[in-house]
Amino acid sequence: MGKIKSAICIALFTLLIAALCFVCTVSFSYGTNDLHTFNSILRMTAKDADLGAPYGSDGYLGGGYSAVYYPEGVISEKVFEDNYASYLEQEEKDEYAAKYVKYGNLYLEKDEVCGTGDSNEPSDAFKTEFSNTVALLEKRFAAIKKDGVRFEIRDEYTVGAFLPKDLMTNELYAFVCNAYMGEVTVRYGTAADSASTVLPARTNKTIRDYLKGASSRTAADGTVYVVINFTSLGREEIAAATAEASSGSGNTLYFMIGENSVIPLSVSEALDQSSLYISGSYSAESAKICAEAINTALRYEFSEDTLELTLGESYFHEALYGSNALYAMYIAYGICFVAMAAFFFVRYRRLAFAHLYSYLIFLFVMILCVWSIPFAYISTETFLAFMLASLVFCVCNAFVFEKARGEYALGKTISSSVKNAYKRSMWHLIDVHLVLAALSFIVYGIALTNLSAFAFVFGLGVVFSGLATIGLTRFMWAIMIACSKNKGAFCNFKREEVEDDD
Amino acid sequence: MTKRPVKLLSVWIAISSVIIIAGIVLFCLLGFNRSAEKTDYKSVEVQYDVVTDITTDAVDTLKKTCNDTFKAQGLKVTAFEAVKEVDSNSGSETGNIKLVYSFSPSVSDEAIQAAGSALKTVVSEALKDGRLPSSAEIFVNVHAGEGRTFYEAIWRGAVGLAVGAVVAFVYIGVRFGVAAALTGLTNGVNAVLLTLAFFAITRIPVYAFAPLLFAAVAAIVSLLIWLLQCMKMRENFKDPSYAALSADDAVEQSSRTARKYVIGVVIALAVVLAVCGGFATAGVRLFLLSALIPVAAASYSSIFFGPALHVPVKAAFDRMKANRKKNYAGKPKAEKENKD
Repeated sequence: MGKIKSAICIALFTLLIAALCFVCTVSFSYGTNDLHTFNSILRMTAKDADLGAPYGSDGYLGGGYSAVYYPEGVISEKVFEDNYASYLEQEEKDEYAAKYVKYGNLYLEKDEVCGTGDSNEPSDAFKTEFSNTVALLEKRFAAIKKDGVRFEIRDEYTVGAFLPKDLMTNELYAFVCNAYMGEVTVRYGTAADSASTVLPARTNKTIRDYLKGASSRTAADGTVYVVINFTSLGREEIAAATAEASSGSGNTLYFMIGENSVIPLSVSEALDQSSLYISGSYSAESAKICAEAINTALRYEFSEDTLELTLGESYFHEALYGSNALYAMYIAYGICFVAMAAFFFVRYRRLAFAHLYSYLIFLFVMILCVWSIPFAYISTETFLAFMLASLVFCVCNAFVFEKARGEYALGKTISSSVKNAYKRSMWHLIDVHLVLAALSFIVYGIALTNLSAFAFVFGLGVVFSGLATIGLTRFMWAIMIACSKNKGAFCNFKREEVEDDD
Repeated sequence: MTKRPVKLLSVWIAISSVIIIAGIVLFCLLGFNRSAEKTDYKSVEVQYDVVTDITTDAVDTLKKTCNDTFKAQGLKVTAFEAVKEVDSNSGSETGNIKLVYSFSPSVSDEAIQAAGSALKTVVSEALKDGRLPSSAEIFVNVHAGEGRTFYEAIWRGAVGLAVGAVVAFVYIGVRFGVAAALTGLTNGVNAVLLTLAFFAITRIPVYAFAPLLFAAVAAIVSLLIWLLQCMKMRENFKDPSYAALSADDAVEQSSRTARKYVIGVVIALAVVLAVCGGFATAGVRLFLLSALIPVAAASYSSIFFGPALHVPVKAAFDRMKANRKKNYAGKPKAEKENKD
């Protein structure tokens, strides 16, 4: 390549890297009183619950929401004290206080929780129902399958849950929908409370004889559906119930869990289908949560022996690892980057520029990918995966450089050395990248949450590392060395000294 | 004379066996130390309203009051968090804020209740004497939590790793021979088990997901190092000077030539993890510094255990190859015999 062409290519790549660097990493405020904020790609990238950072003027990416569920008959100390204080007469206060018994950090309603006897301990029936409720709720939260979802028993008889903010779009809906306990029923009428029960239609049958289950589907046009699958018996009953339906009747089919309407479906004509595709304002996530709530309530034999839950206080948590965790990681990365650059400059002099240019493009492409891929995010695990992929990239470049050094030492020209180095290393590079990428993407396909995210980012990094090592670095090397007069000195390569026999 | 590492297979097997068996026993008895996750906790929560929030210095006074009270009660706060209350339907902030002081689950119920009661008294006095705004609503409560683990993510991760590793080693088998693949697979399994055993024995605190991630790191590093060695072996074994060497000498010499790259990779990885771990905040540090263990286990496994194991495996495969060659009649000869 000619010197002018090389200089133009170097200038273009420098501008590209500068632009990418600016877009990916620089954030600043501007306008009157810093009203507007320019957010870098890195700042806009989703973060998991452990890490987090401010975003925009008052936004926050990362962290998550926690909520506490109170079973019927159980209230918090604060609610008890607030209710107690709200009564004006001492007699009313005493009457209210007599209904409850303090149990650890909670207050239990005697009749509801402790049974009819004199015991101030929760009854065995309550314990069983609470245990069923916890099992059902745990199943629903486990089905969310997101990094950072947590579930705990709190103060013996309440349940705490945590959902990551950035990795979900409907975390508050999940809190509400997962709390629905009780048997699945289908009602038909003008209002959920007054509607008549259509399914189960007969006392000797259960709801499982009418409903197969629910699932979520996304159509090609992006519409998301909750799909309710009926058995033939269920289809007949629904067809019979809605036979008289017309567009002006205002009747609705209510899919209930306990006393909560999960899906209200307006009916304007007779429904005679084995599967009902119900669209609404669902996202893929909320449809999945809704379907899972119906399925768990349907499949659990004991779903009718559960306690109704009240969603108590909810809180927003910022980064669980602390507000500086993300910045500390960026600083650590910066130090590793400087160390890597120093190594390459010391060992290969100006050839290090070829490596650095290709590495920076690799870095920014990775940032853009993690930002743009909906299920990718920044977390400690993905950071580790990125560092490992970076290491693979640096090792592979160093491997080729060393091969070229060896060729040059034997007396070959620099272009021949580079050509031979790549020729001799090509299968080595392909082997390393292919094996690591295969391992990563298989793990990504099978594993869940953290490991899946780690494997995906590592696999992505390995693919880009392969492309950058084999293609980009070689190209950079070619355009940069074209501008140099002493090509051996450019790469810090030396000829092997040959002893003169004379 | 000192024995060469490739001749010490029995020693490496003994070391690995002892560590892995001890790890399995301790894992069965105690499991991993998951105290880092704080799934089980005891906490004192102090909720305050917007009046406290907007009054100058009131929040600082409240925090100081809490810390002084816990100190006086002899309790050590293991984690602190300030969380904002949100409306469960809209997600909008209500203005209430909660300070969550977490303590070790080993703190007795009596001690935590006593601390909660003492704090209630101190806060109530502070509200009365004006150190905290009198119109503020501040509520102190004590809680205990017991976390649950979703096991599906763990077993699916383990299956994913196993399938991925097998596929990777099938590729190695195709490219570098069955002997290299078998050694590599054993090597990888050894590195993964050593890593997990080490965490079980040392009781280093880990998050629930961490052992599996460390196993993945061990598998990846072990695979990478073994690949480097396989490449070197294939390159070297083509050299006629290697033909005259015995299996152990050939593997030994080849390992020696690959050592420069292997040690370079290991040192670079260790430096990256040490720097990242050193600069990270507590939670991240615990994860990143612990990741040095799988790197060490994979390095040991690939530098010492792997080559030593490869000697008998290679010798066995070489013998099989030689036998096949000896018994092979060859097509022209067979055809000739048929004609006769």
